[in-house]
Amino acid sequence: MKKKENRNAIATYIVLGIMSLVWLFPIVWLVLQSFRETPAGAFTKHLLPDTYTAENYTKLFTDTTLFNYPRWFRNTLIVAIASCIVSTVIVLLTAYAFSRLRFKARKPMMNVILVLGMFPGFMSMIAIYHILKAFGLVQSLFSLVLVYSGGAAMGYYVAKGFFDTIPRSIDEAALIDGATKNQVFWKISLPLSKPVIIYTVLQSFIAPWVDFIFVSVIMKDNYNNYTIALGLYQMLTRENITKYFTQFCAGAVLIAIPITLLFIFMQKYYVGGVTAGGAKG
Amino acid sequence: MAARLSSFFRGIGKGFRHFFMYFIQGDLPTKLSYLIMGAGCFLRGQIVKGLLYLAVQAGYILYLVNFGAAYVAKLDTLGDVTQTKEFDPALGFSVIKPGDNSMLILLYGVFSLLLGVVVLVLYLRNIKEAWENQQTIASGGRLPGLRDDVRELFNRRFHVTVLSVPTVLTILFTVVPLIFMILMAFTNYNREHQPPGNLFTWVGTENFSQALWGNPLWSRTFLKLFLWTMVWAFFATFLNYIFGILLALLINQKGVKGKKFWRTVFITTVAVPQFVSLLLISKFLHDQGALNNILQNLGIIDSPMPFLSNGTVAKVTVIIVNLWVGIPYTMLISSGVLMNIPEDLYEASKIDGASGAKQFFNITMPYMLQVTTPYLITQFVGNINNFNVIYLLTAGDPKSLSLYQAGETDLLVTWLYKLTVNEQNYALASTIGIFIFVICAVVSLLTYNRSKAVQEEDRFQ
Amino acid sequence: MKKRIVSVVTALAMASMLAACGSSSGGAATTTAGGEASTAAATTEAATGEASTAAETPAGGEASGEAVTLKVWGPQEEQALLQEMTESFKAQYPDKNFAIELGVVSEADAYARYSEDPAAAADVFAFANDQLRDFVNAGGLYEVEREGDLAYINNEINALAVDSASLDGSIWAYPETADNGYFLYYDSSVFTKEDVKDLDSMLAKADAAGKKIFMDVSNGWYIASFFIGNGGVLALSDSGAQECDFNNEAGLAAAQGIQTFVESPAFLTGDDAILISGIQDGSIAAGVSGTWNAEAISEALGDNYAATKLPEYTTGDGNKVQMSSFGGTKLVGVNSQSAHPAEAMDLAMWLTNEENQVKRFEARQIGPANIKAADSDAVRANIALAALAEQSLYAVSQKDVGGNYWTPAEAFGTALENGEATDLQQMLDDMVSQITQ
Repeated sequence: MKKKENRNAIATYIVLGIMSLVWLFPIVWLVLQSFRETPAGAFTKHLLPDTYTAENYTKLFTDTTLFNYPRWFRNTLIVAIASCIVSTVIVLLTAYAFSRLRFKARKPMMNVILVLGMFPGFMSMIAIYHILKAFGLVQSLFSLVLVYSGGAAMGYYVAKGFFDTIPRSIDEAALIDGATKNQVFWKISLPLSKPVIIYTVLQSFIAPWVDFIFVSVIMKDNYNNYTIALGLYQMLTRENITKYFTQFCAGAVLIAIPITLLFIFMQKYYVGGVTAGGAKG
Repeated sequence: MAARLSSFFRGIGKGFRHFFMYFIQGDLPTKLSYLIMGAGCFLRGQIVKGLLYLAVQAGYILYLVNFGAAYVAKLDTLGDVTQTKEFDPALGFSVIKPGDNSMLILLYGVFSLLLGVVVLVLYLRNIKEAWENQQTIASGGRLPGLRDDVRELFNRRFHVTVLSVPTVLTILFTVVPLIFMILMAFTNYNREHQPPGNLFTWVGTENFSQALWGNPLWSRTFLKLFLWTMVWAFFATFLNYIFGILLALLINQKGVKGKKFWRTVFITTVAVPQFVSLLLISKFLHDQGALNNILQNLGIIDSPMPFLSNGTVAKVTVIIVNLWVGIPYTMLISSGVLMNIPEDLYEASKIDGASGAKQFFNITMPYMLQVTTPYLITQFVGNINNFNVIYLLTAGDPKSLSLYQAGETDLLVTWLYKLTVNEQNYALASTIGIFIFVICAVVSLLTYNRSKAVQEEDRFQ
Repeated sequence: MKKRIVSVVTALAMASMLAACGSSSGGAATTTAGGEASTAAATTEAATGEASTAAETPAGGEASGEAVTLKVWGPQEEQALLQEMTESFKAQYPDKNFAIELGVVSEADAYARYSEDPAAAADVFAFANDQLRDFVNAGGLYEVEREGDLAYINNEINALAVDSASLDGSIWAYPETADNGYFLYYDSSVFTKEDVKDLDSMLAKADAAGKKIFMDVSNGWYIASFFIGNGGVLALSDSGAQECDFNNEAGLAAAQGIQTFVESPAFLTGDDAILISGIQDGSIAAGVSGTWNAEAISEALGDNYAATKLPEYTTGDGNKVQMSSFGGTKLVGVNSQSAHPAEAMDLAMWLTNEENQVKRFEARQIGPANIKAADSDAVRANIALAALAEQSLYAVSQKDVGGNYWTPAEAFGTALENGEATDLQQMLDDMVSQITQ
């Protein structure tokens, strides 16, 4: 029995190891590219650079006349944190309402939301821009927060599915004890939903770092309020790509840092299942 | 269905009857509510609520006068003043006099009307509330004060509190643009009718007949891309789903050490933006790229493998690369859900002597499907509309002469994008958008409402 | 406290929404209802502007009060230069109180950004000339009508650039640069000046040396050089429909010429990045590209860096034909929605005058469209620009190419490169039928 378990464990590690190699490969390659000095340019046939330099990184922060990386990084961080908080709250509240509360419009609303997400998003960009303009909000970081969290409610499914698995008896006990539904949400459901919060937080935190289409419509000519993805994209124009490709890679590596850190920090909430310590028994 | 429809119409009939009945039988504050919103509350002591109603009414009127009415009034023609120019001899050039902007008329017109619908709902509510207040007083009851209303909002009517902000944001950033886009399909907003110099107007269903049978090359492209879109969405969704769950299971196993480490490894791939990672991958897989170079140096192949340059191979490549993109996400979601599977289910089956595979199919998968069917449906639809992966990895290439303005790996959505960018044919793009939309909506509504997740959503509660 | 905030959230959201709409209405409504009023204002402003342009002297105290706000769009690389040029513009018109704002929009994105919101777009913007038709179609530009401006453009700008700014017999924008074309870069240690005149001899020599000749044939921009070189025509009819005769006999002969080229072992395709890396590691000995790669290629080739016009190629029926090319420019346009069109035109003129074109060349090595600015030793000594000028004798303007052309042309090139070509005539027919759709 013990032997078999050991064999299993070894097999697991081998599989995980191979998979990690495959998954990490592009990332490692990206990091290598970001330290590449020669050959210069946007394309190499070889995996490993000939010579290495850290200049690609330092230049991002020292040579800011063309590409104001530090400022864009700051912009993105602000937008990411704000929209992450707003959308997480929205997603969790929406999911909670659809999972735990019973009201007449529940089913129709769920159906409507399901259907709403099915129209190609990029076609709505210009409309959204003009709506924001009517509110006098375009070209601001705030408008980006609104755009990124505005559609958040439509991604409630995962969280709802999760809430559905939390035994109702827990809520009911609290309600009998005189808690309001508001208190049940904050004090009981939320603490039990940490794994799904990780997912929601991570997803909404990532969006501003990776979007370059929406932000280009909203920010237009306001270079100072660009986010990092749009800014980095400027390094890929045909005039710039040869000279700046390795800096582009360096910039991309730095984006991954806050996101990875956030995940590592939130990992600790992945503790055990809800039912393991819950009121099931 | 028929029963539901008839009850819907009966409901409307009842609403109308009540609307008139409340007016006839109403006292002065109730009657006044028909003219001034909030009167039924305000005059009966619910000051704050009454003022809020009044603010809504006043605000909307102000809005219409200052902004909305000009657009709503032109909604029938989408503008009739064309941009003109007139030569000014003193200046030496023709001065341009801006005309109407059809796009803004359509957008702000729709916005104003939708806002009107919201106000109308509140208006009807205001009447109903005035009537209920009258009834309560008549039967000697006490009207709820502000404090009671607020308390209600945190308890019995907590859903109103919770859903109000998401609803407002969704209407603003999703519903208004959506209606705007749908209406655009009934106009001639194309290359010849670009603002600000030109107006566009309503053309009925012309775009639909054009899209369906107006042009054979066109319909053929639509059909081909539609089939590929479905194939892509199927593989992209289900392969990612199954392998993502397997990966999560692998990491979640009891004996596995360094769970945090493994998860972090896979998450770093999510942390690097797709527009970077996919760009690198496409360079890596290029005919002259590193992978072909290595394989050739090792003597495995003689000539470059056309990973991205041959249509059929490229289709397989994008599906495989999408696994790289999608599996970490599924792993992330399912890790949490998997932890919630009651341990006793596994233990019971272990006692019955079930193997790992059997447990997976009998316990894990049913449970996962139960919880994540809605997620699967949205993933499927999301993949139908998966702009990023295709656009960033291949941009739809390789192009093909048998397709109209499209390449072999183009999805309908990337094709749409190209139509708007290359041809500025927003009307036709919206028309195709509506087709996609209808297909997705029907498929997902049917599966969603029949899925166990919805029908038995309380099963695990 | 917290409770109360949440409780009124619906109502507040509603009310603030209304308030916001109400307050911003002034600005947004001008496009429709207020249109007349704002134009009237523009006319009076423009009138005062005229006084100063005509005389080039201060027009008196009356103009100095009101600020004339102008916005300029240019690429990020040019912001510092634009800053300098607008400062000198202000100095040129000291009687006016200009407030000039710069915005970053590259020439390639100008129409996309413009069409999203013409009213908020810059008064004066730089754009690539292939967007001219879109701009004119959309009524987005002020036509160049002032006599002084026309005289400058017609007399002092090179003919190809003037043509690139003209449509339907009118000139619509101020040519700023003549640099957007392609020609042949080569390694002079591999090819002699004689070799590079003929594609066949180049291919033979490259093959013998184990090196490649690079051209992105699966790209409508480059592949057109074969067809147009052999007399093919891409044009727009009066009704705006695309015309294309690449499927006639001459077109077929050109296509056979392309096929011979791509089937040669020395042929290599790809994007700019592949060209650069191939030149760096010595595997590519010659390549077709444009001035934007001049710096990288000259660095890689050092003393062997050379460039010239495109070579002649052999068509299917055995003729030697000089390859043509697209010759593009960057133009400066004046927004039709501008509130100060006369001043905007003055600024557009200023940004494209001889002095500033020289400045632009000095700062960024960009080829001037102004004949005198281009006629300097410094420009002539620039190898890439000299090659571009040489090729421009065979180049055609790109303005008659509609949006339908690019995808089918690319599909055709891709099929040739992949060796999937079976019936060339059929493929050409398919391509043309898509282009002329």
